[in-house]
Amino acid sequence: MNKKKLLIALAGNANVGKSVIFNHLTGLHQHIGNWPGKTVERAEGTLHFKGYTIDIVDLPGIYSLSTYSLEELVSRKYIAVERPDVVINVVDASVLERNLFFTLQLMELETPMVIALNQMDIAKSKGVQVDIKKLEKLLGVPVTPTVAVKGVGIAKLLETAIETVEKNKAKKQSQVTYGEEVETKIGKLMEKMKNVELVYPQRYVAIKLLEGDEEIEREIQRVAPEIVVAAKKLADEIECIHGHCCSTVMTSERYEAAGCIARASQQLVSPMKPTKVERLHNLTTHRVTGYLTLAFSLLLIFYSIFTFGDYTSGLLSDLLYGLEPFFVSVFGSGVVGDLVWGGVMEGLIAGITIVLPYIIPFYIILYFLENSGYLSRIAFLMDNIMHKIGLHGKAFIPMMLGFGCNVPACLGCRIMETQRERLLAAFVTTLVPCAATTVIILGLVGDYLGIHWALALYIFNIAIIFVLGRLAFKVVPGEPTALIMEMHDYRWPHMKTILKQTWFRVAEFIKIAFPLIIVGSLALKLADVLGWLETVASVFSPITVVWLGLPAITGITLIFGVLRKELSLVMLAALLGTSNFALVLTPVQMIVFTLVAMLYIPCIATIAALVRDFGWKKSLFITVFEIAFAILIGGIAMRLLTLFM
Amino acid sequence: MEKRNSNKREVPLTALKAGESGIVKIIRQGQMERGLTRHGRKRHGHLIHGITKDSGFEKRLMDMGLTPGTKVTVVKSAPFHGPFEVLVRGSRLALGRGMAERIFVEKEQ
Repeated sequence: MNKKKLLIALAGNANVGKSVIFNHLTGLHQHIGNWPGKTVERAEGTLHFKGYTIDIVDLPGIYSLSTYSLEELVSRKYIAVERPDVVINVVDASVLERNLFFTLQLMELETPMVIALNQMDIAKSKGVQVDIKKLEKLLGVPVTPTVAVKGVGIAKLLETAIETVEKNKAKKQSQVTYGEEVETKIGKLMEKMKNVELVYPQRYVAIKLLEGDEEIEREIQRVAPEIVVAAKKLADEIECIHGHCCSTVMTSERYEAAGCIARASQQLVSPMKPTKVERLHNLTTHRVTGYLTLAFSLLLIFYSIFTFGDYTSGLLSDLLYGLEPFFVSVFGSGVVGDLVWGGVMEGLIAGITIVLPYIIPFYIILYFLENSGYLSRIAFLMDNIMHKIGLHGKAFIPMMLGFGCNVPACLGCRIMETQRERLLAAFVTTLVPCAATTVIILGLVGDYLGIHWALALYIFNIAIIFVLGRLAFKVVPGEPTALIMEMHDYRWPHMKTILKQTWFRVAEFIKIAFPLIIVGSLALKLADVLGWLETVASVFSPITVVWLGLPAITGITLIFGVLRKELSLVMLAALLGTSNFALVLTPVQMIVFTLVAMLYIPCIATIAALVRDFGWKKSLFITVFEIAFAILIGGIAMRLLTLFM
Repeated sequence: MEKRNSNKREVPLTALKAGESGIVKIIRQGQMERGLTRHGRKRHGHLIHGITKDSGFEKRLMDMGLTPGTKVTVVKSAPFHGPFEVLVRGSRLALGRGMAERIFVEKEQ
């Protein structure tokens, strides 16, 4: 191995400031991708320090190293198999006991490690004082106090990490011992493993076998099945003594040890009294004021995003459409010019005028809410409602995102724990009316039939979401899961981290959506130039004219809507030759058209996002289902509405 | 087994009022396994996993600090059968009602 190259992994619970430390260390030299074959995010970065080139991997925020979630599996595989030179364990000083529980598990992996004792400031304000020296001694691991949001202690942390690598090459990581009964069993198992070649440390394997860890069991079964048998027997003995299953006993032992260390090394200085963050927490989770705050916050967020987005979007599109004469002068106004401008450039403009004005502020606000702690309160308040469609409170977050744009919303479904819930959440999310759908609803129904009709459509849409969500929850096999979520103390987030997170999300969005929007736009323009659109319109006329009672031309515009939903309205104006829709559409037609546009398909970029996380088959199924469903509802609505209107 | 001498004071977490505390005794499995005895079923982890994912959530609760013998304090619950807010080992957790119903505690007087 090259002496001057180092690999450092960051590990720790969620919301302990890990990504803030990661950002301090790596600056802009970051790369965010996925773990191979997994929908778990992997953030990597590089930095140069004291002549070393250091690669830093930010592992997902987790509470344990079991096999509960993909994140946990990925993290422990990484540490055990890739063997980073040193692991920086980021620990929240204000919730020391729970964090040390994770630290102990890292130590079981016998990886060289250092601890960043973060959020010292928050701990202090809570009246918690930690004796660093004592903690170091009890754990046998170097501890550096940090306040990541202010950049305090980061350089020292890095120095300590490098020192640990330089010194500890041969030294084995010290271990914290658990209760005697358990330790004897671990010892017995390790004795049996003496002559067996293992990838993992012996003690770790012994503990995991006692816990009944399936993955380790499978691996040991291959090389030494007798050890697995012995472990089961020993685990039985422990169960008999304690009356709890062995994995519970092990977890308790770890917590016991973590609690001892935490109590010995921390001091509660001032008695607990409600602080400002405490009062804010009470206000925002209260059964009355909590919901009021939530409603007010959401209204404010959407109002400001739409106002800002609308204004900036108009400004940008004026600016970009100003380029048209230039393009016409270069490419001419013939077929080529038409394709370049009307196809490629208009697609690009469409993308830009949506991404910059709406998605960027949306992400900034979202990350602000997440990092400050408010998102978890929203999930807490919305849990009971989300349960009606078989999901728990966290699913409200991607749904909320969906009102801005379905693409980030679908990707945001990763916060759900199981694959089943991710899929269910993504499905309901694609039914949420996004910003572009709102343009249609307000621009057509809202403008011509009045705001109460627009509102009625919104309510209808939300009802549909609940009905279909509930249906999907019954149809898709599997058990519903309940909410288990930490609500960490409110804190002021680190702005640079928010901006970086936003930047990476926007880049991801551009990568997924832009190629499709541009290619799709070009293809449609080509069809237009070749005069195929009329044919398309007549092919679809049995559906559009006969079943939905719409003008044949809507067949074309709804196809345009696949690219971006609001295009279907823009195209409608262009093809009907007027933007006064009252002249060409009856009120019923307006409602039916809007209904179909609202429900019929997640746009092409959303489909791409679905494919990315759920594969072709499921994405195609969702798409086809929603098209069929929209047509069905549209036709029924047409027949019902003509009775009244 | 200790289950025998469990007394009336062992109640689900949902029975605690705001501000009350209890000591975690046991986390009950989902309905599907309720017929099985506690002893002997967990040892064959795969058996449970084959039936339902529930044991994963039991593990998750423990990983979050709700191990038997731990003191847990109910802060409040969200209205309309919403989740519970509890304090455990110095951290604040939100637990869905379904989850909280399975956590049995001995009420502290």
